[in-house]
Amino acid sequence: MTRLIGKRIPRIDGTVKVTGEAKYTVDIQLPGMLCAKVLRSPLPHARIVHIDTSRAEKMAGVKAVITGRDAWDVRHGFVETPRYPADQYVLANDRVRYLGEEVAAVAAVDEDAALAALDAIDVVYEELPAVFDLFEAMKQDAPEVHPVQVPDLDEPYKNIGGMCANSFGDVGEAFRSAYLVRKDRFESQLRTHCYLEPQATVAHYDSTGTLHVWTSSMGTFRKRMHLSRALKMPESRVRVHKSWVGGAFGGKIDLFSHEFCTALLSMKTGRPVRFVAERDEIFSYFRHSQPMVIDLETAVDRQGRLLGQRARCYNSCGAYRGSGVVFIFLAWGFLVGPYRIPALDYAGYSVYTNSPVRAPQRGHGAPKVRFAVESQMDMIAEELGIDPIEIRMRNARQKGEVLPNGDSIRNAGLTECIAEAARATDFQRKYSENTRGQNEKSTVKKGIGMGVSSYFTGTLIYPNNSAAIVLFNDDGTLKLLTGALDIGQGAETVLCQIVAEELGVDMQDIRVVAADTETTPVDIGSWISGLTYVTGNAVKKAAQEVKKMLLLSAAKEFEAGPEDCELRDRRIYLKETDKSISFERAIARHIRENGGDPIIGRGNFRGLKDAAIGPSLKNAKGAWSDSYAFDAQVAEVEVDMRTGKVTVVRALTAHDCGFPLNPLLVEGQIDGQVSMAAGQATVEDVIMKNGVTLNPSFLDYKVPLATEMIESSYIDIITEQYEREGRFITKEVGEGYVSGILAAITNAVANAVGFRAKKLPLNVDSVKSFTNPGDSE
Amino acid sequence: MKGERKQGTRRVITLVVNEEEHALMVEDRETLLDVLRDKLVLTGTKEGCGTGECGACTVLVDGQAILACLTLAINTSGKKITTIEGLAAGGKLSPLQHAFVEQGAVQCGFCSPGMILSATALLSKNPSATREEIQKALEGNICRCTGYNKIIEAIEKVRDKIS
Repeated sequence: MTRLIGKRIPRIDGTVKVTGEAKYTVDIQLPGMLCAKVLRSPLPHARIVHIDTSRAEKMAGVKAVITGRDAWDVRHGFVETPRYPADQYVLANDRVRYLGEEVAAVAAVDEDAALAALDAIDVVYEELPAVFDLFEAMKQDAPEVHPVQVPDLDEPYKNIGGMCANSFGDVGEAFRSAYLVRKDRFESQLRTHCYLEPQATVAHYDSTGTLHVWTSSMGTFRKRMHLSRALKMPESRVRVHKSWVGGAFGGKIDLFSHEFCTALLSMKTGRPVRFVAERDEIFSYFRHSQPMVIDLETAVDRQGRLLGQRARCYNSCGAYRGSGVVFIFLAWGFLVGPYRIPALDYAGYSVYTNSPVRAPQRGHGAPKVRFAVESQMDMIAEELGIDPIEIRMRNARQKGEVLPNGDSIRNAGLTECIAEAARATDFQRKYSENTRGQNEKSTVKKGIGMGVSSYFTGTLIYPNNSAAIVLFNDDGTLKLLTGALDIGQGAETVLCQIVAEELGVDMQDIRVVAADTETTPVDIGSWISGLTYVTGNAVKKAAQEVKKMLLLSAAKEFEAGPEDCELRDRRIYLKETDKSISFERAIARHIRENGGDPIIGRGNFRGLKDAAIGPSLKNAKGAWSDSYAFDAQVAEVEVDMRTGKVTVVRALTAHDCGFPLNPLLVEGQIDGQVSMAAGQATVEDVIMKNGVTLNPSFLDYKVPLATEMIESSYIDIITEQYEREGRFITKEVGEGYVSGILAAITNAVANAVGFRAKKLPLNVDSVKSFTNPGDSE
Repeated sequence: MKGERKQGTRRVITLVVNEEEHALMVEDRETLLDVLRDKLVLTGTKEGCGTGECGACTVLVDGQAILACLTLAINTSGKKITTIEGLAAGGKLSPLQHAFVEQGAVQCGFCSPGMILSATALLSKNPSATREEIQKALEGNICRCTGYNKIIEAIEKVRDKIS
């Protein structure tokens, strides 16, 4: 039995966040701080002929102006490998490739002076032809954003920034022997994160030559690595401090130009410098998610069992590679995760266009892939006369299966998820009733739909691992040093819970010191869905180490062995007796007997311990993750036949996340993902024309509001237990659940009105053109 | 153009913030948000957009929830302003602050100050607000983390206690 693990425990940072004490990057104020602003390209593609900063430099209040000339020849990238070397300058060099690309930056005494200085920088551009559509960009006669980056490409395409190809099984035979083949194209829109805290950085280069940085991010160690490389400084001279993060959702991982510029401006002026992005700047020029087109061809037998698939994925990664090449690799994984596919022919292309660069967003491709697969699954089921639950049960992976890359999926509660989700929502009855309702004359129609997905639990990417230190204070309280950065998901709370559980103390007895690259050990970061698993195991090991030392010391007091002792309420008891000593006494004894050495435990953890490197971005070969989470989600919708408005009424998530360490936090993750998916399904859409964003505000880019809250319920399919000894297995929970529910919503709309969306979002116009064709313009 | 603005008229105003009086020299064009955050260093009030669309800057002026980013500081002279820093009396969280923590209504926390102040204004006017009324009152406060579920539950919990 666990005492704290598995319990609904409020987050430990709750109080500082509801009182306004929590300092986010935007709240950092240092004496003499300057304001930084960035000058951006007004053209989507141009050669920079000349930049003259002399007028700006002479202006009152202006302290420094930097351009690409000050940025050496440093390039950076989300991926930096021999196949995919860094392709983006931190400040534009001789060319700009998207509207909004950073050309210069200024630091001035206030915002007015900084903005005036931007206006006084004279840049002469020579405009070049630009390309925005990804299929246009692939044509031989398209303007070249970059030369093709894939040496082994044997197709006559242009602007290919990356390619991932993988096939297995006898695909030809699968299609020859198929009872039914479906081929569909699915398209997902350009959507964006809408983290509420703007992108922001504060930098202070002090007189000792140390650069202090606060930046709104998803992992301070990754930022330090990128910054020290870009600034050509040793990591020991770059200290990234912890600041609370006002949401990220994938959008704050990469190194951003403003982070480099803020740091360099501080180095030039010797003064603290702050940059805060305006909201319209974020909507127009910062990194959004990746739009995707997927051509999916699927062969099934008479019973709806998958025989084989052919898939082609295309994404526009923007003007630089960004995470595009990771995205087309991941798409392969999200295809093969939940269902058994005996044969697959896959290729993904990441294509350069003159658009802002793309980043991961919660799920990093999974929602788009699952939208395609789950939509097609329902279409196949309908053609074969099988119900949507049955076809999923027939194809769902079972415990112990091995994925095409060799990963074992160990425990997989997918079939239980599907069955429980169907039972709890009375799925089949409602589905048939709604299908009949399609032909009835009613103004509001109801629909129900299901989607399933699976998501990996961390993988190998810098820094690959996490370490942790647990120390005892003399009074028996503790300190946890972890590099984990809490971005809102509750990382600090869960890690604190783990230490408290292992040592039998209250969480209030533990002080968590986190995310400061100078005072805490390395951490993998709050992304790639591995924090609780990787950092959690590191923290657990560190806690076990101090526990061992404490027990040894106490055992001497009892003249017994450490195995005869147990911890309770900050005391050590001799088992089955009422003899006990306080933590303080055992700690004092340890220090005395070890020449003054206090009790300090350290732990470290890395997933995929037998793999040297992560999987190949070129062919998706190689181990990927230690375990996979699974979910089956059901959405219930109402569609207004007159207006085309889709309302998501209810969502149910049946999921196997291994073991929910803190259900209160897990539910929060699920609710947020349901809401984000509903936005993606029905309204969210960054509308761009010729490189210009046409809806750069919360008024025009709609996100779900409180009035659109979706009733959300949960079923935990628990396939692991928290084990005191050895590593614990918990699985992903932070981003995999956007996918199932997104697909469920589109399937529910099809169940309500028969409208099968193959393009997201299914906004009122698209639905209305179906429900009310006479009325559409 | 923002960058071309000339220095505006300055005047001294008195702001009563969280029951403390401050005499401040402000420009006519300065927003209440900038004055609170930059001059008084009350950074609990957040800026998410600066254009009145996200609600993160919500504060109370004479008990009414208003958007500090769209309010000129000079127009609040002499009025009673409450920011998130003023809610916890003597170090004790207000019932709404407490409920937000306990119910899991806080994730990244960036919207929390504005949310809590909007909810405070609502419950002081309408202590028995229905779920629909709560949703309506929060319609101007964007949260991207929670889907609003636990925020609304936290407010209902406080409502049920007081009404």
